Amino acid sequence: MSQQFVIAPLLVGLVTAIATLLTRRFGRAQVTLSLLGGLGYVAAVAWLVSSVDPLGAGNVVSYQLSGWQAPFGITLVADPLSAFMLAFSAVVALAALVFSASYVDSFGQRVSYHPLFHFMLVGVTGSFLTGDIFNLFVWFEVMLMSSYVLVVFYSGPEHTRAALHYVVLNLVGSAVMLLAIGGIYSTTGTLNMADLSRRVADPAAYGGFSVAPVLGLSALLFAVFALKAGLAPFQFWVPAAYRAAPAPVSAMLAGVVKKVGVYAIIRVYFTVFAGAAISGLSLPGLSVPDGGSALLSFYGPVLFLMAAASIVVGGLGAVGRDDIDGLLAYSSIGQVGFIVLPLAIAATATSQEIRVLGVAAALVYALNHGFAKSLLFMASGAVYDAVGTEEFPDLGGLSETAPWLSAGFFVGALALIGIPPLSGFFGKLLVFDAAGRTGSTVGIAVALFGAILTIAYFSRAWNRGFWGEPSLLVQHGEARFSLVAVVVALALAIAVLGVGFDVVMRAAEAGAHAALDRQGYIDAVLSGAESAATGGGGGH
Amino acid sequence: MTATEPQFVLAVVLGTLFALGTFLVLRRDVVRVVWGVTIISQSANVYLVTMGGFAGGVPILGHGGHGGGHAATDPLVQALVLTAIVIGFGTTAFALVLTYRVYEEHGTIDLLELGDRA
Repeated sequence: MSQQFVIAPLLVGLVTAIATLLTRRFGRAQVTLSLLGGLGYVAAVAWLVSSVDPLGAGNVVSYQLSGWQAPFGITLVADPLSAFMLAFSAVVALAALVFSASYVDSFGQRVSYHPLFHFMLVGVTGSFLTGDIFNLFVWFEVMLMSSYVLVVFYSGPEHTRAALHYVVLNLVGSAVMLLAIGGIYSTTGTLNMADLSRRVADPAAYGGFSVAPVLGLSALLFAVFALKAGLAPFQFWVPAAYRAAPAPVSAMLAGVVKKVGVYAIIRVYFTVFAGAAISGLSLPGLSVPDGGSALLSFYGPVLFLMAAASIVVGGLGAVGRDDIDGLLAYSSIGQVGFIVLPLAIAATATSQEIRVLGVAAALVYALNHGFAKSLLFMASGAVYDAVGTEEFPDLGGLSETAPWLSAGFFVGALALIGIPPLSGFFGKLLVFDAAGRTGSTVGIAVALFGAILTIAYFSRAWNRGFWGEPSLLVQHGEARFSLVAVVVALALAIAVLGVGFDVVMRAAEAGAHAALDRQGYIDAVLSGAESAATGGGGGH
Repeated sequence: MTATEPQFVLAVVLGTLFALGTFLVLRRDVVRVVWGVTIISQSANVYLVTMGGFAGGVPILGHGGHGGGHAATDPLVQALVLTAIVIGFGTTAFALVLTYRVYEEHGTIDLLELGDRA
């Protein structure tokens, strides 16, 4: 069976990045190439998604790079979970690319905006597809290196400051990630995720190593993923970085790059380490139930605390902001809390049904946030482009001068608030459902508090920015058609996703099943290698 | 016991390096912060090499007849460190350029003064 499609999105992204780098001097040609590359990327992802078939059988496909067998070589794995993440990332990325083609000025385009954008996309894609934890580190670095430059893109005083914090924090994060990976390798003797999953579930069969160090090291790794996702104690870099970056880049950072952290949490803790049982673990205030997934239930309370803190900190921060980008950045801290909250419930759940529900809820919410938040950041970019400011005191009455743009912003806000029939409604519903079914009163209370805060800050944004008398600046500004068109297209996409939610739900459930099906993942990665080896070298 | 001795020495060296790196990261001077981050990431690399163990022979040379008897040191960690070093070079270069840019924009590399201007 041909499995080359797994690497297709990576290759398309890489070729586009290099092509746009080479055509830097030819403005129009470069933008055209970049847009074509974006379309090609979406096509490659569509090929991957249709081959993985998340709505049908939902197979797990692995591709062994250079034909090296799985536990030794680097493996790329595509399963319904990564297909789900890739699918919505590809759509958001294409929208951001079209938006930036007219938003970023011609000088900006010339100084390597497009190659950086595509390299970032390559890093994101690699992180979603890799089946090897060291390789995950490498893809993270690819993604971060481009995002550093994109954050400092305008190179003004605020931007250099934000980028400095972002860079130093992520460099320390990378060092910590290396430490965790080195420790895990030294303890378990493998880096391949499937092999790792097999070994931690049955340490006696592989030299009888102790699982307790793996728990500590995985917690170290978890801190790095939480940093990437912008979860509560690691959220402080988010507002400055998102405000500094150009609007389409903030859209990508909030909509897609953050989700890489969420994806890594799901993949590594629900697929890889879920099988590990730790005996004799007793921490104050932490009950570890008997059974196969003690390591996972250690992360339940941790995830829950971080999610609750994110919701509260992000929501309260957003209510107090006086500019659109700052509000959206804080809001995105809160919304990541909503994504992780059902994961916390899934981690502690004892029944498979609630686990699937929890992970599926997280995926649906991630998709909704990916679309809605990138729409809102781009709408804020379009406002800045038209008016020249995004401070609420200088805005007002945008709904009169730019009705379509305001409508787009309104839809995005409603999607995050969770109004039916938009996709956000189902996301919120699933979060509440998961919390309700496990009888987690605190979970429901936190989610409710967060939901009320969301309504509060978006109605405040709407009242001050879009309603009322147009201010002097707003009267003279005119929103550009090409920018508004992208915003409206994304708003329509959100509505379509909400109306046709059945498909999204099935895909999310397939993703959740894939995330929890450890044996299926192990079989697909490791047996695929063995059959390729016995099948002889004539494969290529 | 002699095989574990280098590891013990390295553990002490690693601890010192990490302490030094952390100390530098907490300074007000941006250049020192960048040096601190570089030292931390380099000590992560040394740590990674240590994880491979030193009990065996030279990985590739020892593989043939001369190695006889004892196993080779794990070559994988050395490959990993090579990758990490390359990435580290890139990020360090970027961090230094960014420091220069910060100095150009703000006229200072004192983190506290940077904070005041926001």
